[in-house]
Amino acid sequence: MTDLYDVVVIGAGLSGLSFLREWERIGADGSILALEYGDAVGGLLRHALPAEEFEEASQLLADAASGRAEIRCGTTAVGLLPAMNRDDPHVILTRGAGGTTRVSAKRVVLASGGLETPREHDQISGPRPAGVVTPIFVHQALANGLLPGRRAVVYGASKLAVVTALRMATAGIETVLVPPPSSEVSSKDLAPVTVESPSELVAVQGYARLEQVVLRRDGTEHSLPADTLVYAVDLMPNTHWLHASGVATDDRGRVVVDDRYETSLAGVFAIGTVVAPSIDHAHSVAMGAAAAHVLKGDIA
Amino acid sequence: MTSSSRTVDVVVIGGGVVGCSILRELSRYDASLALIERHPDICEGTSKANSAIVHTGFDAPPGTLEARLLAEARELWPDVITDLNIPYLQTGAVMVATDDTEQAALHEEVIPKAEKNGVELQRLTGEEVRDMAPYVTERAREGVLIEGEGVIDPFWTTRAYAESAVRNGAEAFLGQEVVAIDIEPSKITLRTSAGLTIEAKVVVNAGGLWADEVARLAGDDSFRLTPRKGEFIITEDELNVSQIILPVPTKISKGILVTPIVFGGTLLGPTADDIEDKRDLGTTPDGLRRVRDGAAKLVPGAATASSIRQFAGLRAVSSTGEYIIGPSKVSRNLIHVAGIRSTGLSASPAIGRYAASLVRDTLGLSQRTVFHAALPEALSEEHADEGEVVCLCRSITKGEILAAMRSPLPPRSLDGLKRRTGAMLGDCQGNICAVRIAELFAKHLGRDPLSLEKHVAGSRLFVDGPDGDGSAGETRRGGARAAELAVTSE
Repeated sequence: MTDLYDVVVIGAGLSGLSFLREWERIGADGSILALEYGDAVGGLLRHALPAEEFEEASQLLADAASGRAEIRCGTTAVGLLPAMNRDDPHVILTRGAGGTTRVSAKRVVLASGGLETPREHDQISGPRPAGVVTPIFVHQALANGLLPGRRAVVYGASKLAVVTALRMATAGIETVLVPPPSSEVSSKDLAPVTVESPSELVAVQGYARLEQVVLRRDGTEHSLPADTLVYAVDLMPNTHWLHASGVATDDRGRVVVDDRYETSLAGVFAIGTVVAPSIDHAHSVAMGAAAAHVLKGDIA
Repeated sequence: MTSSSRTVDVVVIGGGVVGCSILRELSRYDASLALIERHPDICEGTSKANSAIVHTGFDAPPGTLEARLLAEARELWPDVITDLNIPYLQTGAVMVATDDTEQAALHEEVIPKAEKNGVELQRLTGEEVRDMAPYVTERAREGVLIEGEGVIDPFWTTRAYAESAVRNGAEAFLGQEVVAIDIEPSKITLRTSAGLTIEAKVVVNAGGLWADEVARLAGDDSFRLTPRKGEFIITEDELNVSQIILPVPTKISKGILVTPIVFGGTLLGPTADDIEDKRDLGTTPDGLRRVRDGAAKLVPGAATASSIRQFAGLRAVSSTGEYIIGPSKVSRNLIHVAGIRSTGLSASPAIGRYAASLVRDTLGLSQRTVFHAALPEALSEEHADEGEVVCLCRSITKGEILAAMRSPLPPRSLDGLKRRTGAMLGDCQGNICAVRIAELFAKHLGRDPLSLEKHVAGSRLFVDGPDGDGSAGETRRGGARAAELAVTSE
C-alpha cells in the first residue's frame, strides 16, 4: 500500500508554494502533499533571498511558514509512473531519508523547477578549472560563510545575475558584471559592482583555478583577470527525472502543457520553470496560483 | 611542510589506470608497496579523459609489445571485470566506410592487420550496417563488426585497481609529487614536494604523460613524451547509439568516433592534435567543430545534439614510437612503463601483469599465500536513513556518497568523488550540490572546506572561511562579512 493523495505537488519552489498558498486561500478540498529536494522550502532561488526585486518571492516564503499543507523536505521525486487506466492514481517514486518510497496521486502537479545552465551547456571553450560556477553555488557558499573567490566576473543581465553580483561585492569580492551581447541590466549604477559593456564570453582560462575570462566586443577580444566566473544566463527545465514517464517535452526540454496547465498525460499538470524556464522565475508565482484554480475545478 | 620517511620494497609512481593496475598485480606478491601520485586523487591524468573503450587491439601495429599486451589483455579482462564489479558493456564496434578510398583502406589495411593481430572481423554490407545500427549514415557503403570491443567505466577501473591493491596491503601517498630521485646500487630514494622521503628497492615509473620527466630526475633522458590532445563532446540526447561507431582510420589518426557511455549518454570524439603544453586541457571552438563534423559523418544526429559537457584529454606520444616497458639505462631497479599512447586502459590488465613480473624477477618475489582478488560489492547505500538525494540531476543519494567516503581509498578531491559516484555529472554540472558535498567531506572525512580542491593542487573551491582564516590575510574582512550575511539571510 502506498499513501494516496488527491494532489501531489513535485517541488516546493516558487511555483509549487504559490500553488499551495492559493489552494489554501480558495478553500479547495482534497488531500495535498508536496515533495521537496531541499531541506527547506523555496526551491533553488531561496538561497538568494531576500533580495531586491524578488519581494514577491520573499513574501511567498514568509507565507509558507504558516501554510498548512503537508510538505516533505529532503524527499525527491525520482520517477513518475503514470496511471494505466483513467481511474487509477499516478505513482511517484521518491527517495528520502527513509529510503525509496512510493506516493500515489489522483492529480500530479509538476513544479520541479529549473537548473541554471552551466558554462558547459553553451560549449564555452577552455579548460575546466575550479572557480567556474553558477549563482546557486555562490549563494550556498556565502550562506555557509565560505568565500567562493576574490575577483569575480558575473556573466548575465538577469535580476538574479545582478543580485548575485551585489551579494558577492558585499562579501568583499571584487565583482564585475558582464551582460551578454544585446542585453542590458536594469540599473547602471550597481556600485560596488563594476558593470562592463555587453560582451560575448568566448573562453575561460586557467589550470587549477580560473585565471581569466576572454570576452569579445565589436569583433575584438580582450581578457579579464578573474578567479571566479559566475555563469548566470539561463535556466533549463529540471525534467531529467521524467524521461521515462511519457510526459511530452519540446525540443528544449520544456514540459508541454495546454491552457489548463495539463500535460500530455491526463491528470498530470505542470507549472513554473519546467514549463517556461526563466532565470528570474518571472511566471512562476502567477502560474502556481492560476493552476490552483484549475485543479480545484478538476477535483470537484 | 612536514617531513617523514618510509622504506618499502617497491614504489609505483603514478596513480593512473596503468600505475594502479601494476600496483594491484604487485600486491599478489610478498612485498611492501607504495603508490605515489602527484595529484590530490588518483585517475587525474589521461585515465580520466579518454574514450573509455576496451579495445581488442585489432588495429595495433602487429608484432609490437603493444599488440602483444592488448592480445593478452583480451584474455584477462573477464576476470578483472568480475572481480572488481566494473561497469562494462560489450557493445561491439562497427567500422563504417562511406566512399571508395575508405573501402579500399578497409580491405587493404584494416582487415589484414586485424588478421595479423588474431582478431576476427565480421564483414558487413552497407545495408547490414544500417540494419544493425539504423542511426548510422545512409552513406554507409560497407563495414566491419569487431564483436569484442566494449565500453567500460575508466574511473571505476582505476579506482578499483587501487582499492584492491590497498585491500591487499599497499599504501597510497596522494598529492605527493616526486621532485628528486637518488639512485644507489642497493636502493632508490625518492623525495616528494610534500616532504616525504621514500626508500625503495625497486621503483616503477608509471608517470603517464610526465614519465619522461620522472626519468630525467633519475638522470635518464632516453625518451621524450609529447602530449596529443583529444577533445570530446558528451551528449545525452537520445541518439540510440548502441555500438561503438568507428570511421576507417587514416595514416594520421584513428579518427572521430561515436561511442555509447557505460553510465549513459553518448561520447563524440576525439580529435588528435599534437601540442606542446602538458597542462593544456582546454577545448577549442575549432576542435569541437571537428568533433561535430567527424561524428555527424557517421551518425547524422550528432550534428545538432545538445551537449551536457565537453572535455579534453592528453595521451602520451613516445619519441620511440612504442610502449617503453623495461629497466632504465641508469639502473635496473628503475623500471619504466611509459609511452602508453591511447591504449593504456585497454591493455592495463596485461601491462600490470607484465610490469609486475619484471619487478618479481628483479627482486625474486614469491606469491602471497592470501590475495583478495575481489572487492566487496559495488558501492551502495549502507544505511536506509541516508537515502536523501544530494545530486539532483543524477538522483545520487547521500548514502552512495558516504559509501565512497567510507571506502578503503576515500575521495580526496571533488572530482575524485564525482568519478566514484557519478554525482555532479548531470545537467547542472554539480553547481547545485557541490557545497552540500563539501559539507559531507567536512563532516565525514574531517576535511576543512578551505582545503578542498576540485582536481589538481591549487584548485580550491573556496578561498576564505567564516573566520577569515584562509590562506591570505587580505580577505579577512570579506570572509567575516560573508559570515554576517549568512546570519542575516537565515
